[in-house]
Amino acid sequence: MDKPPATLHDNRLLLLKLLLLACVMFVFAWGLIPVYDALCRLTGLGSLQRPDEVGSQRLAATPLAPVLLTFDATVQPGLPWQVRPLTRTLRAVPGEFVRVDYEITNASNRQVVGQAIPRYLPAAAAEYVKKLDCFCFAQQAFAPGETRRFPVVFVVDKNVPAGLDSITLAYTVFDVPGRS
Amino acid sequence: MTAIDSALQPAHGTAPDHHAKPQGIGRWLFATNHKDIGSLYLWFAFSMFIFGGVLALCIRAELFRPGLQFWQPELFNQFTTLHGLIMVFGAIMPAFTGLANWMLPLMIGAPDMAFARMNNWSFWLLPPAALLLLLISFAVPGGAAAAGWTLYAPLSTQMGMGMDLTIFAIHIMGVSSIMGSINIIVTILNLRAPGMTMMKMPMFAWASLITAYLIIAVMPVLAGVVTMVLTDRHFGTHFFNAAGGGDPVLYQHIFWFFGHPEVYIMALPAFGIVSHIIPTFSRKPLFGYTSMVYATSSIAILSFMVWAHHMFTTGMPATAQLFFMYATMLIAVPTGVKVFNWIGTMWQGSMSFETPMLFAIGFICLFTVGGLSGVTLSIAAIDIQLQDTYYVVAHFHYVLVAGALFSLFAAVYYWFPKMTGRMYSEFWGRFHFWWSLLWFNVTFFPMHFLGLAGMPRRIPDYNMQFTDFNTLASVGAFCFGLGQLIFFANMLHSLRHGRPAAARPWEGADTLEWQIATPAPYHSFVEAPDLEVGENGRIDAMHGGKHH
Repeated sequence: MDKPPATLHDNRLLLLKLLLLACVMFVFAWGLIPVYDALCRLTGLGSLQRPDEVGSQRLAATPLAPVLLTFDATVQPGLPWQVRPLTRTLRAVPGEFVRVDYEITNASNRQVVGQAIPRYLPAAAAEYVKKLDCFCFAQQAFAPGETRRFPVVFVVDKNVPAGLDSITLAYTVFDVPGRS
Repeated sequence: MTAIDSALQPAHGTAPDHHAKPQGIGRWLFATNHKDIGSLYLWFAFSMFIFGGVLALCIRAELFRPGLQFWQPELFNQFTTLHGLIMVFGAIMPAFTGLANWMLPLMIGAPDMAFARMNNWSFWLLPPAALLLLLISFAVPGGAAAAGWTLYAPLSTQMGMGMDLTIFAIHIMGVSSIMGSINIIVTILNLRAPGMTMMKMPMFAWASLITAYLIIAVMPVLAGVVTMVLTDRHFGTHFFNAAGGGDPVLYQHIFWFFGHPEVYIMALPAFGIVSHIIPTFSRKPLFGYTSMVYATSSIAILSFMVWAHHMFTTGMPATAQLFFMYATMLIAVPTGVKVFNWIGTMWQGSMSFETPMLFAIGFICLFTVGGLSGVTLSIAAIDIQLQDTYYVVAHFHYVLVAGALFSLFAAVYYWFPKMTGRMYSEFWGRFHFWWSLLWFNVTFFPMHFLGLAGMPRRIPDYNMQFTDFNTLASVGAFCFGLGQLIFFANMLHSLRHGRPAAARPWEGADTLEWQIATPAPYHSFVEAPDLEVGENGRIDAMHGGKHH
């Protein structure tokens, strides 16, 4: 009435199939890596790997009005830093490479580590200032009394909206406690 | 029994040692009998439950008041991590495997599990893994793993050697549960007694079968991802290291591909158990048996498609969020079918409220609460607000404590007479239920409010505004923990001194395990019986079948 009872052989065969399934799933876990990778490439989800575009072909044809750039720096009261931009203002055409220098002094008599945080005015301008090099990218260690100059290299994006004709770039330098 | 055993041996005995009941420590160390191994699993799971519970109480003690009282944050993180890992892999999963070991052969008329020695091995891998996880990892420099039970990279790729021990423990437990699952599948597919067809099989067998497939499908994925963590830690790979071209979010994707089906690995057997207890004590057949089978299967299939709802805040595109959100909500449909069927079973039933029934009804009510907060969390816009808050903690404790754990209590009370031949104390059983129900809710219900107010999980200190609810939860947790000692005492006492149980102590119980003597003979169904079976394993007639 029923199928014949399973033999030891049937049991072992099923065991092997299930073991194979477990192994396949182990390989599958590793296979997920290229699958996700391909999926991200295909859909453009892996935005980290998307190249940073400066400007676009569409706008390059018409000459753009220069933007007035102002450089500033502040230090919280009580912190041992003196920060000074060597250039206060300049005009730059969007798409043009701009290099300005900042001079930073450790006014204390101890070894200090600082981290600069940039600010933009208006804040909406942040996405149009594409920095290629900046001392704010990393923490900077200073010997007692040391003074160093740092370049900031950037491009103003060609997609900058027409109304945005003045951008202020201001740095604030903070102490990094516990790192000397 | 021994006299009967030896008397029967010549008739069946090709290998006499298979028929005698072994004695002493060897009975357990070299156990091949499914009942012995089932008992080992259950005792192991209970001891892990106590260990994990003590860790939970350490957490609740620290959270009794704001500020740091007892533990440094590092140790607190180790407690939360180990509490989760031990409860999931040490308590709940082995407890269900233990029940499956004990009951499946009895329910489907098989002489034993298909691979008795592999069964022994799959149990005895667990204690070393628990030892690695619990005792040794707290003692190594840097302490136990502290990255949360999810072991997210990059935390897990940076920690001390406690993480290595945890990874090895997970490997061992994974091998153990895969072997256990293979045994369950082969037993169910190949060893059913004549007449016990698939679509008549008890729901617990169906749930165990589907769960076993889930385990075989996803435990290797977990093994794979923790192996990647291991190679990132020691062999210079960069799977999850962004500086080397890897991606920490990849860890979450692979982990949750395991992690979400894992949720149902802990829930489906509970559904199976409840699908026997509710009909038994309602004295009615299970309502909608076929739809229960299909609902269980569709939950299992859907569970593979929703993993990223654990990752709504990782910066997913809105399209993906929408997909995972709707897919997750879809799971509420088969789950709703199940809840409907259980209530439909009780409808106009002649109900009585013994301890297993109380726990089963408690399960339905509280699991539904947990399911509802789950649907709330599945809404991406809300989840982004509630991610990693106590709302999530409340949600998964409703489905895991009031869900999985309550169903386990129900199962142990339900089958205790068949396992031991004695009745438990009904008074203390009911007391245990009402006590657990009360303090469970006192502990976990306020956590919804804490989470909505923004209290983050896995942090030893909190803002003053959260004090009242946390104090309440801590009091509840300690009382809940105390209540489990009542359960322990009841079981221990009844094991020796309980009143002898009848072969069918529950009037409405109609599956195969109630057709044989109580306690279940050591070697049951040595010869398979001929069965006439109705839906959900109801035995209409049994011919033949020998035990000794």
